Amino acid sequence: MKFAKILLMTMLITVIGFESQAQEKLTGQQIIENVYYREIGNDATSDLTMTLINSRGSERVREIKQFSKDYGKEEKSIMFFLSPADVRNTSFMNWSYDEAGRDDDQWIYLPALKKVKRISSDSKSDYFMGSDFTYDDLGDRHPSEDTHKLLREEKLNGEDCYVVESIPKEKGYMYSRTVTWVVKDKWIGMKKEFYDEDGDHLKTLSVEKYDKIDGYWVILHSEMHNVQKDHRTIMNLKNVQINIGIDDGMFTERMMKRGL
Amino acid sequence: MVTKLIKATLMLAMMTSMVSAQDLFLSGYARTYLGALTTGESEYSIIQNTFDLNFEHSRGDVYFKVNPFLYHYSEDELELGFRQAYMDLYFDSFDIRIGKQQIVWGKGDGVFITDIVSPKDMREFLLPEFSEIRVGVTSLKFNYYSGNSTFELVWIPVFTPTQMPDENSIWSIKPSYPLPYSIDYSNSDVKNKLSNSEIFAKYSLLSSEIDFEIMAGYSWDDDPTFHSDKILNPANGNVDSVILKPEHHRLTTLGGSFSTTIGPVVLRGEGAYYNGKHFQSTNPKYLDGTEEKDYIHYLLGIDYSIGDLKLSTQFIQQAILDYNDYLLKDEFENTMTFLASMDFLRETLNVELFSYIGLENGDALVRPKVTYDFIDGFQIQLGANLFFGDEGQFGRFDKNDMIYTKIKYSF
Repeated sequence: MKFAKILLMTMLITVIGFESQAQEKLTGQQIIENVYYREIGNDATSDLTMTLINSRGSERVREIKQFSKDYGKEEKSIMFFLSPADVRNTSFMNWSYDEAGRDDDQWIYLPALKKVKRISSDSKSDYFMGSDFTYDDLGDRHPSEDTHKLLREEKLNGEDCYVVESIPKEKGYMYSRTVTWVVKDKWIGMKKEFYDEDGDHLKTLSVEKYDKIDGYWVILHSEMHNVQKDHRTIMNLKNVQINIGIDDGMFTERMMKRGL
Repeated sequence: MVTKLIKATLMLAMMTSMVSAQDLFLSGYARTYLGALTTGESEYSIIQNTFDLNFEHSRGDVYFKVNPFLYHYSEDELELGFRQAYMDLYFDSFDIRIGKQQIVWGKGDGVFITDIVSPKDMREFLLPEFSEIRVGVTSLKFNYYSGNSTFELVWIPVFTPTQMPDENSIWSIKPSYPLPYSIDYSNSDVKNKLSNSEIFAKYSLLSSEIDFEIMAGYSWDDDPTFHSDKILNPANGNVDSVILKPEHHRLTTLGGSFSTTIGPVVLRGEGAYYNGKHFQSTNPKYLDGTEEKDYIHYLLGIDYSIGDLKLSTQFIQQAILDYNDYLLKDEFENTMTFLASMDFLRETLNVELFSYIGLENGDALVRPKVTYDFIDGFQIQLGANLFFGDEGQFGRFDKNDMIYTKIKYSF
C-alpha cells in the first residue's frame, strides 16, 4: 500500500479568499503560488472516502479518518484506515516542513506487525493506495518545480478561471505538462489536465463540489479520470471540522498504535 | 472430535451473536491454507482452516479486546485459544494494559534480537505470519508518554517458553550432540512463582532525525539449554551415551535499535548483549556439558526503492564472546535477509520475494509469493518455501520445500 501526504489531500485544494490580487495582471507563477500557499486553518479533521472504479465499472472503497495540524514551519498529519477490513487499524503519520529541500518524515503502523516503521518519502510519483492520484497530485508539488504560464482566462462551470500551463523543470518527470483551471479569488483548481511523457492526455481532475466551512473553502467531491486506462478515483470528504484545537498528542507513536 | 468441533463452532457462534447484543465491534478473518511438500512423496505438509476473530469494545477511557482463534487441521484436529485478551486503561500521560498480549519491540524485520518479550511459536519454523509466530503473554504493561518519548515497563508473572514442534514434526530439530542420547524433561519447567517473574523496560523516541529504542530485560531464556548426564558403560568405563535435560536459564539483556532516513534510504539497526546464556560444551571441566557465555546479536539493514520495486536487505550477526573450541555452537552465525516487493494492477496484485541466507553454511530459505485481491478483503496467495543447503538453520530443512496456497476472507 502506498500513502500520501494527508493533510494536503484532506483539503485537496482548500483556499481562503486572498485579498484580491486579481486587480493586477497576475503571472502563471503567482496564480499557482496562490493555490499552493492557501491557508487551511490551524488544524482540521475529516472523513475521506476514496472510491476506485476500473474500466469495467467495478468499485473498491477505502475509508479513512484523518487529522492535521499546522505548527508554522512544520505540519503534522495522521491518517487512520477504517476499511477495507484487511487494512483496518493501519495508520500513517506524516510530518512535513517548509524548509526547501527537506523531505517529509513518514511512519506507518501495520497492525499485523504491531510495529511503527519509518518509511522513505522519496517517491512523489507513486500512486496513493492504488488510486489515480500520485503524491504530487495530492497537492505536494512545490510551484518552484514547474515553469508556469498563464494561457488565458475563461469561464468554467459558471466560475471565472485562470487557465495556467505548468511544465516540469525536471527532465523525465511523469507528466510533460499540466493545465489547471484556477477559480479567481477562491484559488481553487477546478479542473486539471495531465499529459504524459509523450504529450498525450493522461488524466483529468474535476472538482464536483466545494463549500465554505468555518471560513475556509473546502473541496468536498472530486474525481480523477485516467482517460488512457479509463480508471476513475472519486474523493469524498465528510464531517470536515477546522480549528477545533486538536491535541499535539494526536500526532505520536502512541496514537498510531492505539488507533481511534 | 466431532463434538469438540461442534462445541468450538457453537462457542464462536455465541460470541459472534453477542456482537449485536452488546455493541461489540467484530472483525477477523477466515483462511484456508493448503501446503504440499515438493520433495519426497509430495505429501501434504499442511491442510489448515483458520478462524481468527477480534472482539473489541470501549467505554470512555477503557477498552478491551479479545482475539480467539481456531485452527482446524485435516485430521479433524482442533486447536482453540486466545491470541490476545486484554484490557486497556487510558490516562492523560500513561496507559496500562492488563492481560494476554503480544508485545513487539525492535526495528529488525523477521529477526528476534530485542524482540524477546513475547515468545515464539516455532511449530512451523518461521513460516507462519508474524502475528501467529508471536505468542501472547499474560502480563501487565505500563506506558508513560512525554512528547515523542515513551517509557514502557512490562511485568510477566508467568514464564512461557518457545513452543517447539512435536518430535514427529517435519520442523522438529534434534539436539546436536556427538553421542547417542535420550531426553529427560524433568527440569524443563520454570515454576510459577513470583520470584520467577520476567521484567522488561524500554525507552523509545520517535523524532524527525531518528527513531530509537533502548531496552533491558531480566527474563528467562525462551529456548532451553540441554544439560547432560553421562552414562558410563560398565564394561569399559567409557561414556557411550548421555541423558539430555533441557533447562531454562535466567537471561539479562541490554539492547537497542534505531531507524533513520538518509535521502531515499531508510537505515535500520538493532543489537543486544545477553548475559547468562548457557551453551552446550564438550569441555570435560563442565560435568553437565554446558558453559555459560555472554553473546551479542545485532543487525544493520537498509530499505530502498528502485522505481516501484521496493527492496530491503539486512546483515545479522550472532557472536559468542570469550569463545572456546569446546562449544558445540559456532562462534559466529552470520545471516542476511533480502526482500523485493512490487505492486501491480492498482495495488491489487503483489509479487514478493523474501529470503534468509546463512553465510556460514551457504544455506538459505527463499520465499516467493504472489498475492491477488479479488475484491477488497478477499485474497488469494500462491507461494513457495524453498530451503537450500545441507546444514545450518535453513539447510537442515532441505527436504521441506513446499508450495502452498492461502485463501483469506477478512471482515
